[in-house]
Amino acid sequence: MAGGGGSGIVLLVRHHLRRDRVLASVWLLFLVGVCYASAAATPALYTSEADRVRAAEAINASPGVVALYGPIPDVHSLGQLAMTKMTVVYAVLVAVMFLVVVRRHTRTDEETGRAELLAGTALTRQAPLAAALAEAVPLAVVLGLLAALVNIAAGLPVVGSLAFGASWTAVALVATGIALVACQVSASSRTCAAVAGTAFGVLYLLRAVGDTSVGWVGWLSPFGWSTQLHAYSHERWWVLALPVAACVALVAAARWLSSRRDLGAGLVDARPGPEHGSPRLADAMALTWRVHGGALVLWTCALAVMGLVMGAIAPGIGSLLDSPAARQAMQRLGGVGTVQETMLGAMVSVAGVVVTCFALGVVAHGATEERDGRVEQVLATATSRGATLAATVVVATAGVLWLLLVVGIALTVGYGGAGGGLTGTGLTGPGRLVAAALVQAPAVWTVTALAVLLLALRSGWAVLGWALLGLFVALDQVGELLRLPGWTSDLSPYAHTPRMPVEAFAAAPLLLLTLAAAVVLALAGRRFAVRDIG
Amino acid sequence: MSEAVGDPVIAVRGLVKRYGAARALDRLDLSVARGEVHGFLGPNGAGKSTTIRALLGLVRVQGGSATVFGLDPWRDAVAIHRRLAYVPGDVALWPNLSGGETVDMLLRMRGADPAASRRQEMLDRFALDPTKKGRAYSKGNRQKVALVAAFAAPADLLVLDEPTSGLDPLMEQVFAACVAECTAAGTTVLLSSHLLSEVERLATRLTIIREGRAVETGTLEELRHLRRTRLRAAFAGPAPDLAALPGVHDVVVEGATLGCTVEPEGLPLVLEALTRAGVSSLTSSPPTLEELFLEAYRPTVGSA
Repeated sequence: MAGGGGSGIVLLVRHHLRRDRVLASVWLLFLVGVCYASAAATPALYTSEADRVRAAEAINASPGVVALYGPIPDVHSLGQLAMTKMTVVYAVLVAVMFLVVVRRHTRTDEETGRAELLAGTALTRQAPLAAALAEAVPLAVVLGLLAALVNIAAGLPVVGSLAFGASWTAVALVATGIALVACQVSASSRTCAAVAGTAFGVLYLLRAVGDTSVGWVGWLSPFGWSTQLHAYSHERWWVLALPVAACVALVAAARWLSSRRDLGAGLVDARPGPEHGSPRLADAMALTWRVHGGALVLWTCALAVMGLVMGAIAPGIGSLLDSPAARQAMQRLGGVGTVQETMLGAMVSVAGVVVTCFALGVVAHGATEERDGRVEQVLATATSRGATLAATVVVATAGVLWLLLVVGIALTVGYGGAGGGLTGTGLTGPGRLVAAALVQAPAVWTVTALAVLLLALRSGWAVLGWALLGLFVALDQVGELLRLPGWTSDLSPYAHTPRMPVEAFAAAPLLLLTLAAAVVLALAGRRFAVRDIG
Repeated sequence: MSEAVGDPVIAVRGLVKRYGAARALDRLDLSVARGEVHGFLGPNGAGKSTTIRALLGLVRVQGGSATVFGLDPWRDAVAIHRRLAYVPGDVALWPNLSGGETVDMLLRMRGADPAASRRQEMLDRFALDPTKKGRAYSKGNRQKVALVAAFAAPADLLVLDEPTSGLDPLMEQVFAACVAECTAAGTTVLLSSHLLSEVERLATRLTIIREGRAVETGTLEELRHLRRTRLRAAFAGPAPDLAALPGVHDVVVEGATLGCTVEPEGLPLVLEALTRAGVSSLTSSPPTLEELFLEAYRPTVGSA
């Protein structure tokens, strides 16, 4: 960057680091913590190397698992087995973290006008982009180093751990590049996030295709490169050149795009809207549906595709391998039952967590609406506080139910289409997978209700809902590995959902969870009625 | 509490609002009579917006009393809001709603029918393109969206929080005309501003607020006669030094010309001094609202 911009960028980066200190640290600690837990716990799970090899072979023999987590290139490698979930699935969380960080300092700042304030100073027009990059790259390196260090501390080989850490750094760099480009596309930061999120999804699917059928397709995806690096066996260090080159190319593209557009504008011109409002757009409920309608459509499409793909993969698992070792490995990843049912059970419970993100997004957006003064404008009309909060609650909870229904139907269609059948107890027939998806709702509602309560206590606290979700997932995932006492994982609402289709339907825990959600929402309503707005 | 014809539309007595240790409102008094345009003056941070937010029932106050239409804004917010229109100081629009959609929605939320309103007339007068998306509007145009929604349907009370801070002079005139039409139709207006010229032109009475307290209230004349006269004088020789005289403030000497403000009691001595110094030209003007305003903000406010 030219001339006097240099010191300005340093100031900007310092300012960004200050704003990110909580978010980045929590996310970093979560990722590194899960990494350590997996690395430390895996050796104890398998008594002999033969056990380990069987488990790894079982994973490789299951297209569903490979599609989800990627293969294990060297079945003799302890490190690769320990990092099964970390290499690809948690790398997606790494990518999301860097999208969040990059977007808030580029497009979000532009949308809110903060960037205009900065553009009026001695900073060059490329300064926000440069500053985001200057923050993201060191953050990526720190993340990779920490991941390597905790793996070494947990007893995994040094060289392999460094390679694994580098794979996370690599994903972070590519994600930074993708986010920088995506943030040039539209004037809306939500659209930019959707563009980047879609890119991540496509890259994840390309890798799944590459790992399960057409090998070369996987080389198109940074998530595939993480596996191809072969950390913990014969490391192929040259693979790291790919993400570095991709990052450089993406950053250059972002710079070029940003030099060709006006500040605050997108590459795609905003289309004009209707001149008149629909008669239905007359209350807070209709407004909230309208605000989240676009996001809900995107979520519906994404979950339908994921459900179809995952459902279609599942029937192939059992016929390929149904040995005790495979079963054991599967149970580590999901629960008990036939291998297919275990996989499907794991998928719907992952879907439950994913769908929670939609609900938390709606609740967090409610806080943004309040901070920006839009809630104030609605409340200054003949709209009560109760109606405003109810709109957020209804869109979040009904949206959850709808999205879970989509997941259930897509899984059923995919699974049935690929010739899968279901055994076991409880509800039978095609409705069983839909039911398995829908029973996730009460736990999701409970987490949503807690986020609403945080919003009702103080609008700034609504984002803590994400921390709560992270905590529950961590308790679920890590609690068992770290051998924490059972009650800690019971704190998570997700722990009380019956694991259908493996387990039978059980009404009592679902009713209790729904009741808990209702009580928390009632508390939230009372609190929201008496607090200051804004 | 029920509403009688002679009652003020807004009656605020001893209102206290604390944010932590800071007092945003410190025993504020405010009374707005039916049908008047009440100017509510003070710089940012004086408590204007907090007062308005308390009157809208958005924040809970810790002391004093406030009524709008004789109702409690905290308890009866919805009933009050049916009869008023509000334009916030910093209008935030929904990014993916067009201006036209936003206007219609706000009207419908107030219980008005956009088709039967003066919506189109207001869009024309404010020269607002209703098909743009919320995020594409400039600050001034965002404000116009809220103003069109406020003026398009009749209301008993207009609450306007610095409504013209983003408008150009031409649009300020349109705004002034709209306010005048509303008052002619019997609407009461609470107009907060730090654009003093605007209040001077539109307001029938005004309240000046400082650090959460009303420091002055009355008609323009009532406030003006208490205050100073601004003098500008030119001299054949060097300008005299008047700074030492009692009641003389803001002395500025530029070569042979002198400017100052003088309290009424100080005038005889000043005129004598000017005569002695050989004044060659003299203009005096009543204090502008800016000066009244500065006066209200002087640390040593008189008991006037």
